[in-house]
Amino acid sequence: MKVLAACGNGMGSSQMIKMKIIKVFKRLEIDVDVDHLSVGEAKSVINSYDMVFVSESLVSNFSNARSKTKIIGLRNLLSEVEIEGKIKEALNIK
Amino acid sequence: MDINSIANSGWFKVFSDNILTKPEYFISLIVLICYLFLRRPIYETFAGTMKCIIGIMIWNIGSGGLVTTFRPILAGLNDRFKMNAAVIDPYFGLSAANKSLGSLASMVMIALMFAFLWNLLLVAFGKITKIRTLFLTGHIMLQQATTATFIVFFALPDYANATGAIIVGLLVGTYQAVFSNLTVEACNNLTDNAGFAIGHQQMGAVWLTDKIAGKLGNKDKNLDNIKLPKFLSIFNDNVVTAGTLMLVFFGIIMLILGEPYMRLLENPLGKAATGNFAPTLSFAAYIVNRSLTFSVFLFILMSGVRMFVAELTTAFQGISDKFIPGLTPAVDCAATYGFGAKNAVVYGFVFGAIGQFIAIAGLLIFHSPVMIITGFVPVFFDNATLAVFANKRGGVRAATIIPICCGMLQVLGGALAIWFFKAGINGVPLSGGWHGNIDWDTIWPAFGVFANTFKLFGVLALIVAMLVIPQLQYRKNKANYFNQLGDNLDV
Repeated sequence: MKVLAACGNGMGSSQMIKMKIIKVFKRLEIDVDVDHLSVGEAKSVINSYDMVFVSESLVSNFSNARSKTKIIGLRNLLSEVEIEGKIKEALNIK
Repeated sequence: MDINSIANSGWFKVFSDNILTKPEYFISLIVLICYLFLRRPIYETFAGTMKCIIGIMIWNIGSGGLVTTFRPILAGLNDRFKMNAAVIDPYFGLSAANKSLGSLASMVMIALMFAFLWNLLLVAFGKITKIRTLFLTGHIMLQQATTATFIVFFALPDYANATGAIIVGLLVGTYQAVFSNLTVEACNNLTDNAGFAIGHQQMGAVWLTDKIAGKLGNKDKNLDNIKLPKFLSIFNDNVVTAGTLMLVFFGIIMLILGEPYMRLLENPLGKAATGNFAPTLSFAAYIVNRSLTFSVFLFILMSGVRMFVAELTTAFQGISDKFIPGLTPAVDCAATYGFGAKNAVVYGFVFGAIGQFIAIAGLLIFHSPVMIITGFVPVFFDNATLAVFANKRGGVRAATIIPICCGMLQVLGGALAIWFFKAGINGVPLSGGWHGNIDWDTIWPAFGVFANTFKLFGVLALIVAMLVIPQLQYRKNKANYFNQLGDNLDV
């Protein structure tokens, strides 16, 4: 599965989200390729990703996503509990 | 056997000429060692190290491009108006400081490494030092190590070497540990104990904001009730914001310098034309071209930094996970944005920009020899973060007043810093940029002035003074100090 972590600058926050995502997916035993970009760069490539993680406040930037790409807004970028919960919700797994 | 005698031996010279003085190889070597130590698969280690090297090379291209693009404008302002212009932005500041440091630039990497190790040590012995946080924001560690190395080498020219770099590391590491530790309570209040602190460039300002915002306004009259115009949303994109700021500032500057002057500057008599201003090109096109070129090089620079920092952070995080689980990570300020009012970020940016513009106008009116140009990162990130915290404690009024003041201080503090450190290192002046983030327009220039007067003793005194702060914090709140109620104690 192709996953993208995006944030305003593509520097600090997306880096953090990416590391947390990798950890959680490893725990869930799901194979993923994770990239990180700034929101501006991400906008043009989201449709080639299955899942996009971004801070809740920036979700509105991705209104042009196709339905197959799941946009996941995070309140706490560091919370593995939140990330895991939202992944499970998006993939319909318990 | 001291550092300087090791430095003079033969094999060290080979190491020095080929690796130590080349940041792209030096820090990549550190990352390589960390990866091997963490027993990462060899193929991942190979890939990661290569990305580290290439990331830095890309960064250098962006950095060089910024300096080159800015040069005619700097020259014009200096020549015509005797003005020393600088952009207050960490990436511009990084480029300017590195240029002044010259071959000493890789000393920055030594400082960076020692800053991290020192922070690790301080938090490992947290029960004694009362430090709970580990600063983990890689690109910020790079920017701060650079400016700090510049400041200390300026103040203590005798220590413009590897020994000095280690001392810089201790100074910066102490700042990063102590000040990120200062933000813990403010962050927990904002995020309902999410369990992280801020490891960024406005930590002192955040602590102050959290203390005084409640007195400046009413937290029940806050930004959740205010609607901002939709067009402001474009400024969440850094490429657009940088391009817009540059168009405005450099557009005005180039218009003032005038077409004949700029044509002559780019096509000097008797020398090769720069190729930027062909006779067939209109002035308007030239202005747009040059302004947006900054955005281009900034983008390239940031792509490179992002690539290399990804490896650096993975390496450092791995090391800290192995040794000290259960600490509070100090991370990018943007991690707090999800916890504040939805429009606090843009609100802070707008009023911070207003504060900066007011201060810049003031500098112009009072014929300041230093001219400040607004840079994207400080005006956006510092003021957005302060607005989030100000709004939480003191509502709209605080979220308006504090960014305006911060914006003004960013410009005035930055101007003072540039004026004070103008001479640069080893005769290469500092020109074109200053770090710009609020802690670096206030606390660090003050450190620089202090160190310049009291030399090595001064630097050591600063370290000791900073280390007292967490002790005082602990004393005020012994019962709850070490309780971190986050659900993510895994870093």
